[in-house]
Amino acid sequence: MNKNLFLKELQRNKKNLMIWSGIVIGLTLMVLAIFPSMADMGEDMAQLMAKMPAELSKAMGMDENTWSSILGFYSTYYGIYIIVLVSIYTTSTGATILSKEEKDRTSEFLMTKPISRLAIFKSKMASLLILSLLIYGIQTISAIIGMSLFSSESVDWSIFTVMHASGLVLVLFFTTIGVLISMFVKPKKNFMGIVVGLTFGSYFINAIAKSTESTEWVGYFSPFHYLDFTISDPDYSFNFLSAIVMLAIGAGLLFFAYKTYLKKDIDG
Amino acid sequence: MLAIETNQLTKFYGESLGIKDVNLAVNQGEVFGFIGPNGAGKSTAIRSLMGLLIPSSGTAKILGHDILTEGDKIRAKIGYLPSEVNYYDEMSSRELLEYSARFYDTSNLEDIDRLAELFELDLKKKITDLSFGNKKKCAIIQSVLHKPELLILDEPTSGLDPLMQNRFFELLEAENKKGTTIFFSSHILSEIQRMCNRAAVIRNGEITAIENIQDLLEKQMKKVRLVFDKMPNDQVLPEGAQHERWNKNKLQFEYVGPVDRLVGWLSNQSLHDVVLEEPDLESIFMNYYER
Repeated sequence: MNKNLFLKELQRNKKNLMIWSGIVIGLTLMVLAIFPSMADMGEDMAQLMAKMPAELSKAMGMDENTWSSILGFYSTYYGIYIIVLVSIYTTSTGATILSKEEKDRTSEFLMTKPISRLAIFKSKMASLLILSLLIYGIQTISAIIGMSLFSSESVDWSIFTVMHASGLVLVLFFTTIGVLISMFVKPKKNFMGIVVGLTFGSYFINAIAKSTESTEWVGYFSPFHYLDFTISDPDYSFNFLSAIVMLAIGAGLLFFAYKTYLKKDIDG
Repeated sequence: MLAIETNQLTKFYGESLGIKDVNLAVNQGEVFGFIGPNGAGKSTAIRSLMGLLIPSSGTAKILGHDILTEGDKIRAKIGYLPSEVNYYDEMSSRELLEYSARFYDTSNLEDIDRLAELFELDLKKKITDLSFGNKKKCAIIQSVLHKPELLILDEPTSGLDPLMQNRFFELLEAENKKGTTIFFSSHILSEIQRMCNRAAVIRNGEITAIENIQDLLEKQMKKVRLVFDKMPNDQVLPEGAQHERWNKNKLQFEYVGPVDRLVGWLSNQSLHDVVLEEPDLESIFMNYYER
């Protein structure tokens, strides 16, 4: 790994990280700030939910737990918005961390320095990991602060930890897909459409799978199926097998991306 | 050990040819020109040597290292000046040059100020605010900061005004005196004539000639202008004469061949005046391009 390049990448992505962190903190605190008023309407919300089609409630990950505890409320929105939003940031950063050099035609500068393609790849991936962990850590800390601020009852932090560990694996998995995409899409293309489609698409596939038994099979095509956030399940725990398999597949995707990068002609 | 050695180096972009069977041998300490019209394959050859393009076939070594397996070792000893300069817009010139210098063990950061003063570059300005010429100055400085053994220059003077071009050539001459090998790619022949000992001509991706510049100038076509005292009886010109034009007792032709043959023929004529003109390098290479 090259320290010079690693630090430069962190510096280069600092502004973007700050903007996205602001969005993620804002969304997290906003979700948690709504909970007290929702909890006050607990009876009314339960009646409203009873009138909703069961399939829709399931698809959105809502159940009786959603309105009765701050963790239940948070887990619903965590699965729908927060994880997807964090994944969009990390996946788009993964998709551009190598290709941006080609898009801006600075790769000629970088790749004529005494640094191997392996060192470039490792340095960029290390900074990508740090950026992903930073935004994830920032979101987690803001959730802890939000729960402490907006909940009078005690929070089951072990479930919170399981939820966030699952979320982190999902985020890292999507990030590796972003890196792989950048090897096959022209650098001048805007990756954001692909990234939003990938993350939201994965979420909706899982939502459809959860809504009825007949569509359950489509869930196998979504990473959300393997690490979900249904904390109302009494057996809810960290799925080590899924996590290990997803991290292993992610490592495989990165290795494949590296092999492709090694043989790539650099245009700019 | 050669500074640059390529063996049948070939690069195809899909179906279309970039370069084919390029064989080069550049000696250490030499200033070697690489000449060709736009699109001839100069940049493809250079980008392959720099490891930016993966050759389709053939091999190449720079300073004894294989370009495919020891690229980072090679690049530690090379200074590269690209034809088009693209840097990180958000950086200032100083930040860019310091960032570049930190990749090498041999860089001296104090040289940044000295070279910036020489080329009148404002180090505080952001890259995005620099003109093409000023970006080129930045590129020149970053290419020599780490005291490279070999300088690879691709159309190095584009964007530089004549004063800066002159300072740049003086810098190159000083570097060459210290032992730096220079590979100088250009389509501006006067630059090649000024700087280089030898040059390769590339056309349609293939090397068509590798010549000593001085030999080229001496041995190649000469323009001959004659004024006859007495018109020759047979008007037979020496072998190697071409494009002759008569105007009363005046004759003008181009001659390619040994000088003694021309002199022998001239000695048999009754002449009032003789002018032998050295063609400029441009005329010589136009001959190559047209072959």
